[in-house]
Amino acid sequence: MTDLEFSGVGVRIRERALLTDITLRLEHGEFIALLGPNGAGKSTLLKAALGLRAATSGSVRLAQRPLAELNARERAAHVAWLPQHIHADEPIRAQDSVAAARFRFHETHAASQKAALSALERVGAGAYSQRPVTELSGGERQRVAFACLVAQEAHTLLFDEPANHLDPAQQVEIYRLIGDLWREGRSIVCITHDVNLLNHLGDAARVRVVGLRAGKLAFETRFDAPELPSQLSALFGLELRTFDASPGRFLVPATRSEP
Amino acid sequence: MKLRAALLILASFSLLLAAIFVGHPLHGEQGQFILWQLRVPRVLVGTLVGATLALAGAVFQALFQNPLATPSTVGTTAGATLGALCALAFDRARSVEGLPWVTVAAFIGAITASLLVASFASSRRAHSSDVLLAGIAVTLAASAFATGIQYVSDSRALFAAAQWSLGQLPQVGYRGVLLLLPICGVSATALLLLTRDLQAFALGEELAHSQGVNVPRLRLLALGFASLGVAGAVAWCGPIAFVGLIVPHLVRLLLGSSYRTLLPLSLITGAAFLVGCDLFARIVVPGRELPVGIVTAALGAPSLVLLVARARRR
Repeated sequence: MTDLEFSGVGVRIRERALLTDITLRLEHGEFIALLGPNGAGKSTLLKAALGLRAATSGSVRLAQRPLAELNARERAAHVAWLPQHIHADEPIRAQDSVAAARFRFHETHAASQKAALSALERVGAGAYSQRPVTELSGGERQRVAFACLVAQEAHTLLFDEPANHLDPAQQVEIYRLIGDLWREGRSIVCITHDVNLLNHLGDAARVRVVGLRAGKLAFETRFDAPELPSQLSALFGLELRTFDASPGRFLVPATRSEP
Repeated sequence: MKLRAALLILASFSLLLAAIFVGHPLHGEQGQFILWQLRVPRVLVGTLVGATLALAGAVFQALFQNPLATPSTVGTTAGATLGALCALAFDRARSVEGLPWVTVAAFIGAITASLLVASFASSRRAHSSDVLLAGIAVTLAASAFATGIQYVSDSRALFAAAQWSLGQLPQVGYRGVLLLLPICGVSATALLLLTRDLQAFALGEELAHSQGVNVPRLRLLALGFASLGVAGAVAWCGPIAFVGLIVPHLVRLLLGSSYRTLLPLSLITGAAFLVGCDLFARIVVPGRELPVGIVTAALGAPSLVLLVARARRR
């Protein structure tokens, strides 16, 4: 079954094309890592899947139904999103923020609170469930946002640079959590700038790596494919060196050669 | 936290009750008349208006994700002022079905201004910040028209307009209460039913959308029902400043921001705050009544500063 399908999707704002003719299918249980330089249209692609950006051409389908036919709650049952930044101006307790992410369920307040607490515990944020989100550190806040996504219980998960601004231990931890969700059968699209973090998912060889440049698909390959380093080098215009460890594969920008 | 909430509710209700009995000593038949025909309805109007303004303020702050949003942010008050001014300048004496023409005109002005902004807000593409800008634009436009009308009206109309714009709880009797009750009741009930939607809004409008909130619909409903209540309140009492800004912040500082407590407690505290301010306005200068709008601003502003300073130190 196809969980998410873009067919010839284009997004234009006046004369500027943000995305052009994107055709991409996410089958059930698959993992797509979306890579590309800044401004390539990665976030826009996720927003098109959520209906936050309307496709000006082509169509988006969620679980084989056109996005436009779904109402807001149905859409939220299919797809959840971890944005790059979350807004935290109101001193709302972490647990209440996560409980609010259960909006799509018709359930009691107590049920939402219970689900929220178990989502927070699952992402290792149980200790600060009672603290206001405004008082949390960047890493803690990211975990609360992660718990929101878990609590929504959608089967397709979209991550927009989930490890952005986190320290290395937190980055690895976030990718391990994503790997757990993947193994439970979720379908995932994850934007990242650091291809090496994919090693921490657990089954990185199965990851489909999709390159996006200037709003167009540049390439698609597997994480363990031999051509990945050269494709990424071309995508970013940066010479990369590969270190194959077992298990794992690491790509590092080459240092400038001696004159 | 539960204890604090209970204390706040208790204090609010005590103040509402006390307001009926504090004032000039009441004796005999005349005292009974003052109590039942003047004070009780006035406290009731104050309760309705204060509750409505405070709740609308809390809702707008949530909706626009802006702590400075007030019930006047979307142009409701400016529209009401323009309507009232038209009535005062051109057709003072008339009344419609026994209602003062000023009130009717202010209500029409308030609803028209809100509808202008709401029609913009319901568009799928509009962001909250765009709606805020639309509200400011409508406010400025209405104020410009109002200034124009003031320029051509006579001094009596000007004086009446100045008085109206200070904001006061009028002696409207039970008829006024009965007219205001359904408007405020519908507005408050509808807004409280949106609590869950608004709570999801707190981490950002786009995240709320992804979690299943129908954002344009929520915006239209919240804006519409809040404006309905505010229009009713402003039409009777004129623009009463600060209630919608201060009360939600006060509740937030005391009890945190969960909308399940913030919204209902803003409602109750708003009622007590306005009635309390009106009580103060009645008794502070013997033999004269100050407009309550002056008191809300004079008491409200420093207490907000004080509360914020205390919260920062903790």
